[in-house]
This record gives sequence, structure tokens and C-alpha cells, in this order.
Amino acid sequence: MLTIENLAVDHGKLRAIWDLSLNVDKGARVGLLGANGAGKSTTLGAILGIYPPAEGNINYDGKSITGVAPSQNVEAGIALVPEGRRLFGEMTVRENLEMGAYTKSARAGVDDNIDRAFAIFPILNEKSGDMAGTLSGGQQQMLAICRALMSSPDLLLLDEPFLGVAPILVDEVMEALRRISDEGVTMLLVEQNIHRALNFVEHAYVIENGRTVLDGAKETLLNDPGFSNKFLGLE
Amino acid sequence: MDASIIIQIALGGILIGGLYALVAFGLSLIYGVARILNFAHGTLLAVGGVAASGIFAATAWNPLFIMLLLIPVLGIFGYLFYDHLLQPLTKRNHFEYTVGSVLVTVGALLILSDVAAWIAGPAPRNIPLRFEAIEFGDVIVSTTQAWILGGIIVFTVALHLYIKKSWFGRAMRAVTQDHTGATICGVKADKVHALTFAFGSGIVAIAAVLYAMLFPVDPYIGFALTVKAFTIIILGGIGNLVGALIAGIFLGLAEGFTSFFWATQWAPAISIVLLLVILVIFPQGFGRRKST
Amino acid sequence: MSNYRYWLGGAFVLAVLAFIPSTGSAYTTTLLFTMLISYALAQSWDWVGGEAGYINLAHFAFYGIGAYGFCLSLLAGVPIILCFVIAVVATSIIAFIVSFPLFRLRGDYFAFATLALLPLTELLAFNFHFTGGADGVVLPPKYVLFEAYYIAIGLVGLTAITTVWLIRTRFGYALKALRNDEEAAEICGIRIFPAKSKVLILSAAFASIAGALQGWQLSYIDPTTVFGLDVALIPIAMALLGGSGLLWGAVVGVIILSLFNQLLIVSLPILQTAIFGLLLLLIGRYMPGGLLRSAVVRNNKWIGFLGREHDQFVRATVSAPTTDNLPLPKQPVATGEPVLECRNVTMAFGGNVAVDDISLTINAGEIVGLVGTNGSGKTTLFNCISKVFEQKSGEIIFVGQDLAGARRDDASKLGIGRTYQIPRPFSDLTVVENIAMPLMNRGDESASLADSLGLATQFAAYVGLTEHLAARADSLNLQQKKALELARALACRPKLLLVDEVASGLTPMEVRTFVNHIRELRDEYGITIIWVEHIFSALAQVVDRVIVLEQGSIIADGPLADVVKDERVLSTYLGSAATEDA
Repeated sequence: MLTIENLAVDHGKLRAIWDLSLNVDKGARVGLLGANGAGKSTTLGAILGIYPPAEGNINYDGKSITGVAPSQNVEAGIALVPEGRRLFGEMTVRENLEMGAYTKSARAGVDDNIDRAFAIFPILNEKSGDMAGTLSGGQQQMLAICRALMSSPDLLLLDEPFLGVAPILVDEVMEALRRISDEGVTMLLVEQNIHRALNFVEHAYVIENGRTVLDGAKETLLNDPGFSNKFLGLE
Repeated sequence: MDASIIIQIALGGILIGGLYALVAFGLSLIYGVARILNFAHGTLLAVGGVAASGIFAATAWNPLFIMLLLIPVLGIFGYLFYDHLLQPLTKRNHFEYTVGSVLVTVGALLILSDVAAWIAGPAPRNIPLRFEAIEFGDVIVSTTQAWILGGIIVFTVALHLYIKKSWFGRAMRAVTQDHTGATICGVKADKVHALTFAFGSGIVAIAAVLYAMLFPVDPYIGFALTVKAFTIIILGGIGNLVGALIAGIFLGLAEGFTSFFWATQWAPAISIVLLLVILVIFPQGFGRRKST
Repeated sequence: MSNYRYWLGGAFVLAVLAFIPSTGSAYTTTLLFTMLISYALAQSWDWVGGEAGYINLAHFAFYGIGAYGFCLSLLAGVPIILCFVIAVVATSIIAFIVSFPLFRLRGDYFAFATLALLPLTELLAFNFHFTGGADGVVLPPKYVLFEAYYIAIGLVGLTAITTVWLIRTRFGYALKALRNDEEAAEICGIRIFPAKSKVLILSAAFASIAGALQGWQLSYIDPTTVFGLDVALIPIAMALLGGSGLLWGAVVGVIILSLFNQLLIVSLPILQTAIFGLLLLLIGRYMPGGLLRSAVVRNNKWIGFLGREHDQFVRATVSAPTTDNLPLPKQPVATGEPVLECRNVTMAFGGNVAVDDISLTINAGEIVGLVGTNGSGKTTLFNCISKVFEQKSGEIIFVGQDLAGARRDDASKLGIGRTYQIPRPFSDLTVVENIAMPLMNRGDESASLADSLGLATQFAAYVGLTEHLAARADSLNLQQKKALELARALACRPKLLLVDEVASGLTPMEVRTFVNHIRELRDEYGITIIWVEHIFSALAQVVDRVIVLEQGSIIADGPLADVVKDERVLSTYLGSAATEDA
């Protein structure tokens, strides 16, 4: 469904991604792992179209989306749950969800999708009239995920969705993501907690310094001694 | 002190304050969304008011009709102004962006007022409608004033509802609160910036005609109005319409009472002093600024 | 570019200028006089605009206040020299007073507030009785063109010298630092408000002399001519047209715009303001960085030098260091009292509690790892310790001293150095200048500019940046910026070094080098170190103990080996499957 070939992305004068390639099959759950500053968030941003690539190709559903604007990509079925959530703090929970359905094709299904969102995370229904800024970290993350779902995406990009979520809620969110995945949504997940990531995805890529350095199925990675060393630091 | 005099002054203050608020609405939306201080904003009113007066003098058309003509004109002007002159600056570094937008908007201010003065003359003019007086005891109100006050209130409510309920209104609010978040939802941020400029400028057209019906306009009143509009935004909070209306009325009352109790020439200073005092106590203004 | 050629050139220009009046042409003299005044105004504006980065649209108001101050004094019979003095003093006092409220504002709010000051001063001039109201002040007519002209030449000379002086002093560097990043400037020990205030007063003083001279020469001033919006922006447009922050920017801008203005006055009877507005608009739209920064100028071999940013001047003066040692006192670890104690420290932002009742003790000479997921409170804790924030409750005791109420710029002088997780260098300054910043801002212990730059090269060598001494900080890659952060933090001569995520992105070899540095900093220089890191393999090589934060609280505190087996740590940070590898 999604193929990236030799991607290079610049932030101003600095190259943030040098040579990144990855592939996500339809319906799969793929992880993007790596240290801070390695380029994971930039990759997701480039896929959505926020950062225009300096080099390389991004192909979605057989078509090139390299350099395509975010609004078009959202119409085409890509959605992002960004790092830091980026909610609209002074709009209500319901309004935040409505904004997720901003694109023309998504507007028709607004009400249905809101109901679905409330079904996934009932707490959002309770708080539907509250300002998003008053929600707790975990609730905000739930809202951010649902907002992304409002455009009925086929590809869901998640940037550290468990950050700032209290441990008790992490399982609930993880379960919800599993159900969403089971409904056929393809997922690309950026995550810092290695084992939590590998718990969820089947395949993962590791980025370091803007380059893909390792990739493989979950089991392969776990058994790779270099992998453990690098991330768990237990020699 | 006669109560009726106080009421009379208060009414005048509320009226002009409401007009100030209208001007501020546009500036507030523009600033909230595009984060650009449009120094030429008030000059749009000055020029629009002069134009409206000129049209009225030549054709005696209903001012409402003139307003409906003026709105799209200013709206299109605002859109093109942003799209061609300001949007390209967003690609530059922060200092050049700030300097550039100041120079562009101040340059526009000077061009607009000077050209208007050249075409229509610098003398003040207005839309002189005969007024029928309604009397409440010793207080005299003209029907024009009453209609305008009513119009301002209705418009504010309508605008508030539009911004709250419409997709474009939501887009404006979203971009104001979190630029990246809005982009992720599929909002074309650049387009929203330009449309908001158009929208804000269109609102000024309404204020321009109403203002000209009550007070004299000349091409040079623009900058002072911009200062007042900015004071109102700071007081009322960026993007907060009801707050802006209240702040506007407060400013109008302050000016009215200063004029009466102290001296007329100090009235214009009120808004500036107020602005400076508020900025000192609340360096961020009352509105919460969301970082992009 | 040797200095004496500049001096010679400058003297030549001044000589030519001084010659002009003897040609007898009043027109030329007046024109040049106006240009001289404009230069003083434009260049003094750029000290605040280009050097400090604050766009002060009320600059012309200082000109007007100077004019009024001078003329009113002269009218009152005060001897002429004293009139100038009064003009300068009065304006400087007013600048001092308004700097307090103004510099609380940032960016566009500052610009707008200053712009609003202009009509205010105009109104005050109109309405105050002693200023003569709309009639202004009329001086007894006296033909003083030549005297005023010569004084103007002197003013211009002084302005030029001040500009060069500013670029080459520690004060000027403090301005450049705060232009780039005010918070980073503070942690280097710079007191930013006094710096901003001083430069505003300086620029106001020069503007006031210009105003006094103009008033004297015209023998007449009124509110519109000194405070009108269109006139007020001319000097600013001049500075910007040439290029703000450049040595030659104001000169070029003044010459071009003055001649353009003359052309307008002569050839266009109408719409002069509109044309001027058009010029401003075009400059803003196409060349906000100024003419001298355009490719056309910079690539031209004859005039290209006019567009040089200051970092191209510095290149010539910096050479590689001669020693490998850090210019820090070698001392063993101090024994006894703890270096840092946090007692029940809580920090919240609105409803969000970032640091929740934390108590910890760091002893002298310890190397402590601080670990936790993003959002666990590590950076906020660093910010509290380095006084970027004042904690909401609890005490932070540093080497026996309670840090309550200490300012941000005290941290460096007290001996706390820190790096930022995302590097915050002074982008348009070179590597060596970045590192030199804390060295020249230590209060009484400050080194001179030359010494600071020299010492900075040694710090740079220590972190491996010798090849990049004259490179601008924003041209470095991420790893180099992190090295720069470390060097700058070391230049704070810290007793306590707070290092925030330096190792990510480094190869294992580079990590090892860095770890050796850390060990050496403690062993040889007696520095205590707290290191935020999530690459455990890096920490494992050197830390004595690890503190783990989660949601603002400490969930583990002990030797690394114990911490990685701690169940709470495993479940929240490493994930439960890590038990297999432990």
C-alpha cells in the first residue's frame, strides 16, 4: 500500500533524512523505531505531505504522492495522529472530531464517524461538550486518534500515540488500535518503547541518523543481538 | 448632572464602540489566523467610507445597497493583497517575515490613503441621511442610530454563529489554535489565510458604510482606527468576538466620557494609552496565543 | 581587510563632506545635511533593529523629543551647548522609562506598541501647552546651516564609530545573542533586560541629537513635521533598504532613498506619499533583507564586500588553539557536601503537573543518569535546576545555597551549565563566538572579548570542532550542534553540568569518546554531571547511579544494574519483555 524509496528530507538547511526506504503492505501493522532525532516524525510528516521530499519517492496505492499537499493526501485516505497531538484546545471534543472530517469526501459521514468514535472510546462521549484543552493526557490521545479516524482513512500514521498516556489507559488504547486494525486499516506506528511497539506490529524498520539500518519481522529483530544491544543497552 | 446627558453620551459611546468592534472583528480574525498585523486594516475603512460617501453623493442609492457592492470589492482586494504580497513572505526567515509584513502593510496604508485623497480630496465627507428623532424623555436618538446599533448587534450574533457552525468558520478557528493540527485535518492553510484576509476585509466594508452614515470620514483616519482595533483585540482576546464587542463598547464609552468630562482633544489618546497600559500588565494580551 | 584602510577611507569621506559648504551652494549643503541627519537616524535605529532584533517603530519619536527639548531650551535662553545636553538627557530618560513596559513585549506586539507611541507623542505635542500646540515652536530666525552641518558631520562620525564599536564589544555580542535566542542568552549569563534597555537609550540619544540639529537648522518645529507617520518611517526604510544588521546597510539605504526622495519632490507634485509607500511595499515584498543581501550585490566582486555579514569579518581573527587542555581548573572531586539537593520540588504549568514532589540528592563528583520517557519531567527538572523556571514549591539547594529567586542569568555564574535536548545555538554567530558567550558574561570574572574568543577555541577543540571555528552555528549538522552545546555549557565553568540527550545519533565509537570526556570532566576537573539519556548502553559505561522519572515522579534511584531489574521501570519504560534479556 505504501512504498518509500530512498527518501531524503531537509529541514531548512539541514538534512533530516538521508536515505530511507520502507514498505507497508495493505492491512499490515508496521513499526518505525529509532532514537530521538533519528527522523521518525519527519518520515511521517513527509508521507502526509507536510515536508516536501528533497529526493526519493513515496508511493501510495500505486500512485506517486511525492510532494503532494496534505489536503490531497487526507482526501486520498491517509491520516496522521501527530506527535504532541495537536488538538484544538479551545474547541470542544465534538468540534475537534468534526475537524477531522474537514475534507469534502469526509463531510457526509461526519455523524456516523462520531458515533463510531464514541463507541471506541466512550469517555469521549461523556466529554463531548468539553474543551479539548481540559482533557487529561490519555483522553487527549484518544481524541487525537479518533480525529484521525474521522476521515475514514485506509492508512493511519501514528507518532508516539502512547506518550503521556497513563499506564492504565495504554492497554485500552492499544486494544482500540487493534480493533481498528482488524477492520482493515493499515498502520504505520512510530514508537519509543521497543517492546510495546513489537507487541503490536508484525514488522518493523529501525532508523538511525536518517537512514534505515535494520528491518525485519518481529521475531527476527528480537533475536538479532545487535538490535537488543542498541536499544536495551544491556550487554 | 443630568442623567439624560450621561445616557446620551453613553449611547454615542456604545454606537461608536460597536463600530470600532466591527473593525476589530476583521483584524482579530486576520491576526488569529495569519499572525500578521495588518497596519492597513483601518485604512480600508477610511477608503471604503470615502468611496461609499462618494457613491452616495453621486447616486443617492440606499446605503445598504452600496454596502453590498463594497463588501465583495474589499473582500477581493483583501484576498489578492494577501496572496500576492504577504503569502510569499511566509517562506522567509522570521526577521525578514516580520520586517516584510510591516513594510508591505504600512506601504499599503500610505498608498491607499494618498491615492484616495488625490481622487476624492482630503476633506471629510459622509453619507448624510435625514434622521428622524425618537425621544425618550430628554434623550434623543435618531432612527439611523437605532438601526445601526441594531444592525451591529445582529451582525455580531450572525458572525459569531457563522464562525461557530460553518466549515469555514471552524477552519479559521482551527488554524488559529493549531496550524499544524489544522493541516493534518486536510485544511489548506494558505488558502484559509487568504480567505480570512478577504473575509476580514469584507467585514470592514460593512463598518465603513455604517461609520460614514454617522460620522465624517476622510482618507487619513485609518491608522488611528487600526490602533483602536488592535487595542480591542488585546482587550477582548484574539478570535473572541463577544469579547471584542464588549471591549469595543468599553473603548467607545471611555472616549465619549473623556471627551465630555475632560477635553475632546484627549479622546483619541485614550485608546493608545489604554493599549499601552494593558500591554504592560498583560504582555500576552488577554487572549491565549497558541504557538504554531 | 585591514583596519587602517577603513580609517583612511572614512577620513577621506569626512573631508570631502567638510569641503562642500565652501562651494557656497546652500541647496547641496542642505541636501547633504539632511542625508547626514538621516544616516544618524537610520544607523541608530539599526542598533536596536539589526543588532538586538527589535523593530522599534517609535524611533522617530525620540528624534522629535530631542527637537522639542532643544528648541524649547534655546527659546528659554539656555546656552546652546546645554540645549543639546538637555535634548539628549530628556530623551534618554524617556527611553529608559518606556523600555520597562516595552521590552516585556515580544515580536509583533512590540512593533505595534512602538507604532502606537508615535501618534501618542504627536497628540501630546499638540495638546500640551508648553509645547506650543499646533503652532509648534518657532526659534528666532538665524542662519545656522553651516554650523549645524559641521556638527552633523561630527554626529555622523560618532555614529559610525559607535556602530563599529558595537560590533566589536561584549555588549554588542550580548545583543547579537539575545537577538538569536533570549533564553539561551540568559543561560550564558547575559542579563537581557539591561542590555535591551541600554541599546534603546543609546539609539534614542543619537536620534535626539539628530532632532536637535534639525530643529536648530530649520528654526521651526511642529508636531506633524516631527511625529508624522510618513516622515517617521523614512529612516527605518533607509536602514531596511540597505540591509538591517549590515555595516554598510544604513549608508547605502540613506544615499539611495535621499536621492530618490529628492527626485520625487522635484518631479512629482502629487502622490509623493503614495510613491514612497509603494517603495516601502516593494522593499518589504521583494527585499526585506535589504539590497545588500541580494544575490546581485553579493556576487559582484566590486561591491560584494558591502553585503558581508559580520561572521565573515570574524574569520580572519580566529586561529586554532595551541593546547589540548580545557581552560578549566584541574581539581579533584570535592568531598563532603552534596552539590545539589532537591526537596519536594513541584512544577506545574496550569493544570499540568510536570514535576511532582521530587526529592533527590546529588553528591559531588557523581555522574548520574536521568532516565524516563518523553513527558516524564526530565527537561522540566533541568529547567528548574538551571533557573529557566522557578518551581512552584519546594527548594533547590546548590552547593549549600538555596536557589530560590535566582535569575536565569545567575545560573552560569553560580556554576550550573546545561545543554538543551534540541540544540539552541546562536544561529547566526560562529562556533567560536557561541562558545565565547558565557566566558565574557561572568560578571566580575568576565574575560575580555579577545581572551574569550581565544579560550573558546580550546573548548571547541575539546569537543572536536576545531575544523569549524568560523562556521555559522546554523550550518552545522545535528551532531556538531550537540558538540557545540556541550562546549558552550563547559564554558560556563560549571560545578554541575546538566547534559540533555547528547548521545542519540552518535556511532558507538563517538559514544565512547563522549563517555570518556564525561569521565574525564569528573576525574580531572571535578565536575558533577547529571545526564539525561535513554540509550542505556551509553549510560552503562560511566554512570554511578540512575534516577528514573515517570509522570513527574521518581520511580527508581540506584545503581544501573539494580534499576534495570526494577519491576516498575521495566513495565513503564523498557516494556515487560525486557526481563528476558536482563
